[in-house]
Amino acid sequence: MSSLPRRIIKETQRLMQEPVPGINAIPDENNARYFHVIVTGPNDSPFEGGVFKLELFLPEDYPMSAPKVRFITKIYHPNIDRLGRICLDVLKDKWSPALQIRTILLSIQALLSAPNPDDPLANDVAELWKVNEAEAIRNAREWTQKYAVED
Amino acid sequence: MSFILELITSFVRKMLELLTFGGKTLTNTLKIYVKTNTGRTLTVNLEPQWDIKNVKELVAPQLGLQPDEVKIIFAGKELSDATTIMQCDLGQQSTLHAIRMRPPTIQREKLLSMSLEEEEPTGTPTEEASKPLNETLLDLQLENDERLNITDEYRVRAKAHFFVHCGQCDKLCNGKLRVRCSLCKGGAFTVHRDPECWDDVLKPRRIPGHCESLEIACVDNAAGDPPYAEFYFKCAEHVSGGEKDFAAPLNLIKNNIKDVPCLACTDVSETVLVFPCAAQHVTCIDCFRQYCRSRLGDRQFMPHPDFGYTLPCPAGCEHSFIEEIHHFKLLTREEYDRYQRFATEEATPPPPCGTLGSVVCSALPQS
Repeated sequence: MSSLPRRIIKETQRLMQEPVPGINAIPDENNARYFHVIVTGPNDSPFEGGVFKLELFLPEDYPMSAPKVRFITKIYHPNIDRLGRICLDVLKDKWSPALQIRTILLSIQALLSAPNPDDPLANDVAELWKVNEAEAIRNAREWTQKYAVED
Repeated sequence: MSFILELITSFVRKMLELLTFGGKTLTNTLKIYVKTNTGRTLTVNLEPQWDIKNVKELVAPQLGLQPDEVKIIFAGKELSDATTIMQCDLGQQSTLHAIRMRPPTIQREKLLSMSLEEEEPTGTPTEEASKPLNETLLDLQLENDERLNITDEYRVRAKAHFFVHCGQCDKLCNGKLRVRCSLCKGGAFTVHRDPECWDDVLKPRRIPGHCESLEIACVDNAAGDPPYAEFYFKCAEHVSGGEKDFAAPLNLIKNNIKDVPCLACTDVSETVLVFPCAAQHVTCIDCFRQYCRSRLGDRQFMPHPDFGYTLPCPAGCEHSFIEEIHHFKLLTREEYDRYQRFATEEATPPPPCGTLGSVVCSALPQS
């Protein structure tokens, strides 16, 4: 096991010292490349009030390749599938080592505010989002209440 | 007690100073070859603090000339009398060129003082004696407006610095820019202007000059136009192996004069690789290696029709492919072998030698 690159140490420190509003990322006790992430649903979105758990993993050649991020909490969103996999350009071909954990999580937060049904990952969700947006938003609210709100 | 101790330490320190000083003067003497245009080569020992006037006084008698009949040419410049050896980036066994003035200075001065003043300037480019190229040349990464508005303080940092991959040292080395005539390949060549960008240095037929390597000046064509300069690089870290001891210029590697943090590790390194994209993304050398290693592992290098098997900027910018594939020599020998094997397997014809100076490719040991 190679030692942790300075960049990861620096990014982690900054995430702890200056957390992004609505985002909480804490490295795992046993694996500094694995982060437990919590993103709160943005205001004025169907995900408002929800607390979404995600996992983020920095692969061996990070930052040359993108972090691997997945939703653990179930979410009704056209760009996030049943397994929590996220369709987001900056996690794939638009990844650049100039981006960071912080910017990636901000992009995910923004994706919650602005779902993009034209580039879907969850086909059924995207379809409904296009055909009957009101119903889709209602579903998203329901799922948020059901899976992302702690009693 | 402490008094005696102090006395002893100061004595020891003095002895040490003497020793180190003595050592310096001994090792700093440079053995230099002086080539003439009559085919002779002299070997001289020069002290770093000497100036060009001293060199002329040393060389002229051996050539049967007066010191003021000789001009000294080095790396595309005629050196002024006041230039010191220290200012030229001469290494052990470097070569200077000593050329007989035509017409001798005294006569020329007389002529000038007799002639009308207005006749003196204008017309053909003058070849005035000057400082060596390495002293005057600004970093080739600077934009034009940056060159004009440069502060004196910054000028020192912004002095041109070159990096090469040296086949002999087998590593990234400091490089030295040298100039020769593109026709006769002789080094007694003075440029009409300094290079201002990498294209001036790497592409042929950009900067004309005056060649005095042979008795009859070289001409580019039947109309008698001046020949073009040919720039090449040498490793500054091993004793020069003569005029054919070339090194491959790594033009993307630069001194980090603007203190740009590495795109990957965010550290500010002294030496960086600047990608040829519009955003000029920067990585440190270690992160560049890691980037290459990672892409090599995934076999994600790309065959480029002109450059060969290469990589773009890690941020995926447009038009950012690395043209000079010698940059991949920064990988370990094992990794570089793998790079070459993949390149062959991907059936990319090797990049044509000559895109960045045939000088380099033909001279480098094939590995």
